Amino acid sequence: MHTLDCPRCGRRPLDEFTFGGERRPTADWLTDPDERDFDDVWVFENPAGVATERWFHAAGCRRWLTVRRDTSVDRVLEVR
Amino acid sequence: MVVVNPGAVAAFGATEAVASLQPIVWHEPRDSYDVVIVGGGGHGLATAYYLATRHGITNVAVVEADYIASGNTGRNTTIIRANYAIPEAIRFYDHSMKLYEGLEAETGAAIFHRKKGHVWLAHSEMGMRTERARVLMNQAMGVNTELLGPAGVKALVPQIDLTGGGRYPVFGASHHVEAATARHDRVAWAYASGATSRGVHVIQHRPVTGLLRDGPGGRVLGVQTAAGPIHAGIVLSAVGGRVSQLAAMARVRLPVRTHPLHAFVTNDFEQGLAKIVASTELACYVSQTERGQMLIGAEFDSQPSFSRLSSFDALRSYAYKITRLLPFLRSMRILRTWAGLCDISADFSPIMGETGVDGFLITTGWGTWGFKAIPAGGEALAERIATGRTPALIAPFGLDRFRNELAMADQASAGTR
Amino acid sequence: MPALEPLVGRRVIGDPDALDAAIWSGRDVVVLRLAPDEAFGIGATAVELDDEHAIDESEAGFVGAVLSTADLADVIARVDWSLPSDPSALAQGKVAGVPAKLLIGDPSLLVTHAAYAGELADRLGWSS
Repeated sequence: MHTLDCPRCGRRPLDEFTFGGERRPTADWLTDPDERDFDDVWVFENPAGVATERWFHAAGCRRWLTVRRDTSVDRVLEVR
Repeated sequence: MVVVNPGAVAAFGATEAVASLQPIVWHEPRDSYDVVIVGGGGHGLATAYYLATRHGITNVAVVEADYIASGNTGRNTTIIRANYAIPEAIRFYDHSMKLYEGLEAETGAAIFHRKKGHVWLAHSEMGMRTERARVLMNQAMGVNTELLGPAGVKALVPQIDLTGGGRYPVFGASHHVEAATARHDRVAWAYASGATSRGVHVIQHRPVTGLLRDGPGGRVLGVQTAAGPIHAGIVLSAVGGRVSQLAAMARVRLPVRTHPLHAFVTNDFEQGLAKIVASTELACYVSQTERGQMLIGAEFDSQPSFSRLSSFDALRSYAYKITRLLPFLRSMRILRTWAGLCDISADFSPIMGETGVDGFLITTGWGTWGFKAIPAGGEALAERIATGRTPALIAPFGLDRFRNELAMADQASAGTR
Repeated sequence: MPALEPLVGRRVIGDPDALDAAIWSGRDVVVLRLAPDEAFGIGATAVELDDEHAIDESEAGFVGAVLSTADLADVIARVDWSLPSDPSALAQGKVAGVPAKLLIGDPSLLVTHAAYAGELADRLGWSS
């Protein structure tokens, strides 16, 4: 992945953006509230596959994007 | 039993060093062991070696998805140092350095261990503050690290441009005198040879596809592979790169993200660079290999990924920075590039020991500091497996520290950011 | 050689439609549309828009330079991404490796944060 297609600014080199972390729902099977809190604070899903992430266009429009990316090959699937 | 002629697989090196490589003994795999270690990298092989040599436990299999040392053990920048920022880490890595120093004598295998010294540069007053604190903490822990001004840096690294090309001025550095490098594949080979000659099985090209459980939430009883199950009294995950996926098989959720880290080597530099030179602010580090090539490592990508491809953007960025510090690199050519997968924990410290699931131990979070930790990590995990007790050396690095609000923040020691 | 001079004006965050119809007061106001919901009116002393929740603040954190045709060509040569297909649209991104904004028109303007002024001028060869 060397570029991201910003919906406002167009396709740009990756170094214009800041990675803002994965965005994921807490696992359904975690039912204990303390476990869910722990999971939200510390755990990364770290999928080897499709991840939903937040990226910030720091050098451009300075707006957050939601990106779907296949981390197994580092390929962007969708930018919103 | 097949014995591989070490001369046939050693790619280079002095004749006596090649001769010093003992063979790896390939045993016919069984379907049950006392201990199954998933991951045939440095940590997995060292754990097997110390189980056999320190504890006489040899009914052990190391199960590797590819070939041994094909992951990060063969993809790192081979730096061995203990100049960390927190006492628990300094103690651990200092012990690992001492085990490395004795490894050639212990195994009889030449690992090309070379003491060089690690010069950690600062380019701002803030950076100097970090290095001053590092020096004081290292000295308090008995590690030989000294503070240098610009003239001291120049004396140790004559090729350096102290103005940093006008952009990254050198304010000073910490100098970790005992830091060393070693040949990474030879370290893996030495441990594999020492372990298998005592009866440990190393099973290559056998990806683990699942864990055998004694019912949901029950004890881990072994591993599932495409070639059938392997039963085990205890399973240790020494996986690098796919550790979140393996842990998830036991519903163990980890505070770990996996990021590629890029590195490259240039053609030979005849003048010689005696020191390991690093800069956190520039996120790069450089040393010279036994072959004379300049080995340059850099920061890991900000976004997680499991791709081992180098990117031109990354190489351009590192080349831009490192050539300002060491201008002679401008005339060099990049010969090879690669990326390794760094498992970075939430507090930038490794995770060793219990997982909360019976029969399932873990050693992970080795992104950017795994190679230097191989002997101490392997020795400690072997002791935990053999005795059932977690050694004091690694007790602070348990997975439960995140739950107990005892995280061990040490990002300043990563050598990158 | 162009020089990056301080810019003052009003910076407004508000409803996109209201920003489209906003009335800017001041002399020779040039409006940079930073995002659909954000605009910087260079030289503006006041702004009227139909959005009671709009945030309207004075802004003095940017610097800018008016570019001649030759300067503009030099600057564009230091951009390694495609300029917007609408030539009058504000282009935002790295110029010579520094975050900046480029407005092509009459006049053409190069704008960056004041903190980046030295670095950008340096990289464009504008420092003497």
